[in-house]
Amino acid sequence: MAVGPDATVVAPPLETAARPDAAGASWRRLGRLKWGVGGAVVFLLIVASAVCAPLISPYDPLSVDIKHRMTPPAWMEGGSREHLLGTDQVGRDLLSRVIWGGRVSLLAGTSTVILSSIIGVFFGLTAGYFGGRVDWNIMTLINVMLTFPFVLLALAVIAVLGPSLANMVKVLAVTGWPVYARIVRAETLALRERDFVLAAKALGMSHLRIILGQILPNLISPIVVVATLQIAQVIILESTLSFLGLGIQPPTPAWGNMLGEGRVYMLNSWWIAAFPGLAIFITTLVINLMGNGLRDWLDPHMKL
Amino acid sequence: MRRYLLRQLVQLIVVIIGISILAFSILHVIGDPVTLLLPQNAGKEEYARYKHLMGLDQPIWVQYWKFATRAVQGDFGKSWYGNTPAFPLVIERMPATIYLTVSGLGVALLIALPLGVVAALKRHSVVDTFCTMLAVAGQAMPIFWLGIMLIIIFAVRLKVLPASGYGTWQNFVLPAFCLGAFLAPLTMRLVRSGLIEVMNMEFIKTARAKGVGERMVVIKHAFRNACIPVVTVLGLQFGQLLGGAIITETVFAWPGVATLTVDSIRNQDFPVVQCAVVLLALIIVIVNTAVDILVGLIDPRIRTGA
Amino acid sequence: MVRSIALGVALLSALALALPGAAPAQTKDDTVVYALQSDIDTWDPPGSVLRETIILGYNVYDHLAVRDLKTRKVIPNLALSWKVVDDTTWEVKLRQGVKFHDGTPFTAKDVKATFDRVLDPVKKMIARGNHAKIKSVEIVDDYTVRFKTDGPYPLFVERLTAQVMESEKVIREKGDEWMQEHPVGTGPYKLVSWHRKQEHLLVRNDDYWGPKPYYKYVRIRIIPEQATQIAELLSGGVDIIKAVPPDQMDVINKSGSARTGVSPILRTAFIQLDQAARSGPNPFTDRRVRIAVNLAVDQDSIIKHVINGLGDRVATAINPMAFGWDPNLKPYKQDTARAKKLLAEAGFPNGLDVVFNEGPPNVEPGQIQTDDAAIADMTKVGFRVKRNYTGESSVFVARAKEGKLGPMFTWSWGYYSVFDADAILYDIFKCGEFYAYYCNKELDDLIISGRSTLDQKKRTEVYAKAQKLLFDDAAYLYKWGLRGVWGISNRVDYSAPPDEVDRMFLVTPRKK
Repeated sequence: MAVGPDATVVAPPLETAARPDAAGASWRRLGRLKWGVGGAVVFLLIVASAVCAPLISPYDPLSVDIKHRMTPPAWMEGGSREHLLGTDQVGRDLLSRVIWGGRVSLLAGTSTVILSSIIGVFFGLTAGYFGGRVDWNIMTLINVMLTFPFVLLALAVIAVLGPSLANMVKVLAVTGWPVYARIVRAETLALRERDFVLAAKALGMSHLRIILGQILPNLISPIVVVATLQIAQVIILESTLSFLGLGIQPPTPAWGNMLGEGRVYMLNSWWIAAFPGLAIFITTLVINLMGNGLRDWLDPHMKL
Repeated sequence: MRRYLLRQLVQLIVVIIGISILAFSILHVIGDPVTLLLPQNAGKEEYARYKHLMGLDQPIWVQYWKFATRAVQGDFGKSWYGNTPAFPLVIERMPATIYLTVSGLGVALLIALPLGVVAALKRHSVVDTFCTMLAVAGQAMPIFWLGIMLIIIFAVRLKVLPASGYGTWQNFVLPAFCLGAFLAPLTMRLVRSGLIEVMNMEFIKTARAKGVGERMVVIKHAFRNACIPVVTVLGLQFGQLLGGAIITETVFAWPGVATLTVDSIRNQDFPVVQCAVVLLALIIVIVNTAVDILVGLIDPRIRTGA
Repeated sequence: MVRSIALGVALLSALALALPGAAPAQTKDDTVVYALQSDIDTWDPPGSVLRETIILGYNVYDHLAVRDLKTRKVIPNLALSWKVVDDTTWEVKLRQGVKFHDGTPFTAKDVKATFDRVLDPVKKMIARGNHAKIKSVEIVDDYTVRFKTDGPYPLFVERLTAQVMESEKVIREKGDEWMQEHPVGTGPYKLVSWHRKQEHLLVRNDDYWGPKPYYKYVRIRIIPEQATQIAELLSGGVDIIKAVPPDQMDVINKSGSARTGVSPILRTAFIQLDQAARSGPNPFTDRRVRIAVNLAVDQDSIIKHVINGLGDRVATAINPMAFGWDPNLKPYKQDTARAKKLLAEAGFPNGLDVVFNEGPPNVEPGQIQTDDAAIADMTKVGFRVKRNYTGESSVFVARAKEGKLGPMFTWSWGYYSVFDADAILYDIFKCGEFYAYYCNKELDDLIISGRSTLDQKKRTEVYAKAQKLLFDDAAYLYKWGLRGVWGISNRVDYSAPPDEVDRMFLVTPRKK
């Protein structure tokens, strides 16, 4: 995400400040939200298919059947109902692999986001609440980490540790937390001066109680919005790494490595790469729509 | 003004040191270079001998100091598989990467600026919604997918552009377009929101009240001021630009630093990886600082604020 | 605003001026473009095991003898004739009027210098094993040399096609390091420039003693991805590509702008198993595990379905085209039940984990696809395979040489284009050789006796014994003899070479 000069994250919302026309504004708001709702529905469908993969997948995604390799999708000549989306270069059913691949991608996305948000919220809260030297130290760390292109970092660490799902999640989580930290810090700084916090302090509440009780609940909205948008980012990063051969290794199905393996077949058996690519596109799209919708709904004025 | 410059320089140095520590620790702390170099059945004495030979049996801060002092002189060691020193290997590939990123940036601006301006001016119209939707869709498209499609359409089917390689201006078209299309969606949205914000500001209303024509308002006042946040963000996007460049280079077999890095990672050729990572990070950091300074020069508010 | 625009323009112009200049006045009509999957490690052929080095070597250097592609007989090249003087001496007469690219005439001293260098035990050159039977080279006169061999050497003539002639002056004055990047040969092309991992440019040698090549320039482009190679072939960016995966052949043939060429080649593919434990202890030191893995994979099915029948199943690693191949030995048939039983006997009732090192598919058509299928078969029997892919052949072979690729890795062998069983047995199965991960004293004795007699009948018997041993001991996981698949642009005329050497000097434009 982009970073503005005053250290807030600046990525434009789909709509800026509401205009004076109140009635019209709320109608428009609902209208705009239809995209977010639509996105959420499709996303839930994708999640459901990923979770229920063992139940709905027609075949084992790893079962090889070279006699039926590279059969086209069912609606094309040479295709069959047995394999709705066709088979890949060693005869594995493509539909099954796309479903299971979604499972892997979503797993990678959510676990990374959970990890990095926990780390980021911790640092952001600490920096924003306590201020002073602590803040300066953490801000410098955040700056270093944000300017260091973390794609490079991810590549370098994987070079040393070896490619795997676990390593990838670790690396992406550790390099992704500054995004959360920055938002959380900015919001915490603002919240710190609000009346109810000052009142709590006057009452003698401990720092921990104030943070957990007063500040954190107000951070839920921005964290959720950022986390949602970050899932899409991570999915794209995971598929990029897998495409380069540095992420999830075949034969485990992951959309990125399926695309990478399918590249050489683009000119004849195009479906091997096309469907994983489509899956990445649709998933990322609906997550973005959902995230934008969430932000508009929770607080359109949020400087995200 | 001088305080601002000083602050920027201090931050730059701190960041550079941080990068060097990071790059060093990746290889020496996380991994074990000796096991990576030796055949698997090397005995304990062989291991110890190699360790001593490479200077890896010394305390970690001594190793770091050696690494840092050598690095400053441009000595990043020798590639483990080419017997050529790592630094010239990386430097040789730099121009290709830089040309690609600059042309990619150019294409992104070419697409994003007009679209962003139109969307901002005709806010809430069909055009605006269309542009925004395009941007959202564009951000969801994986860049390697786009690259592969471009090659198939323009090189294989239409045969108007080369599929890969480097040397003539035709070689630049597809990769630059691919990279530019990757950056354009976000850039467009930034231009649009930046312009909208500026358009609502006081001095615009003043200009309008004075009776200045709408077009003049846009061009002379709004646009110039909207450039500031756009330029800032673009400069800071350099990091993401690099991420896009890595894929673009791989898909188009572009002889740049990114393909060198990915190859070296696959070959486990760590001196080269280390050198490439440090140099690239250095460039990004310097660009960021330069942009910060530039913006500070243009807009005094930034210098005194935050 | 104006200032920033001016600055921008100035910056862009500066960058534009620094852009790579165009290559020396090449045009499409005088250049033929050849693609390699990965770059060579050196331009000094005796120092490299890569097929690419051999191919490029053929274009820039000459050999004493070459193979006639139609009759498969060895014919004179830089050598005009050869004869046996006695059991351990051969005499070779050299061609006159040949010049190296730097102008120096080619004479007997160059032959001696070349062989002395290759045979030098201190230098440990890769090619040394090939010519180890030669004890010394003597100069009789400027155009006559005598080779003294260590006992009778039946392969002497064959092996004359496997060593390029290098300049004595260069060896003496410039040394090994210089020679890695500056080939000085007598061949039809000269090296103009080498951008590592990007491309080489060759120019025609107008003083060549033999027939002149049609194309003035050869551009050798390094294109690592097969998908990109095919895209370039179809869009006209490249004229010849090799090792095309058989399932992409129809794409090329239907394109209208290129076609495929197929030829059986003197190369067998196999998967080496680390019986000699060069990379450390591993399950394949146990014969039962080796047999199990051979029984696990249905190679016939893979040949039929994955590479469209473009492979000739073999019982061991000896190619049907090589002298000494035993047609009576039948290969392993898939038997998953017996495989599982053997694994259980060997102590792996629940399967075992192995690392499979794969190299780039630069010489074996469809290697990645066949590996996919083979691994699937292995998995069904209990092998849990972890794949480890290396994209650059120079890196992969370097690791092989250092003994780091165990417990199993993809390999193939081109025999240095010498059509004899010895050309693979010595380098790939003899204990202690660079690329051999097998060690068996009995086999070593057979190899030595095979290359020490001139009696062809006796040699056939020896090699039959050797193959039976290799089969029973399941030294490696055997696959098939390859058929090379080339992609050729319709712009040029070129036929697939059965010895796997792409001779750019034979390429001509296609007649309309």
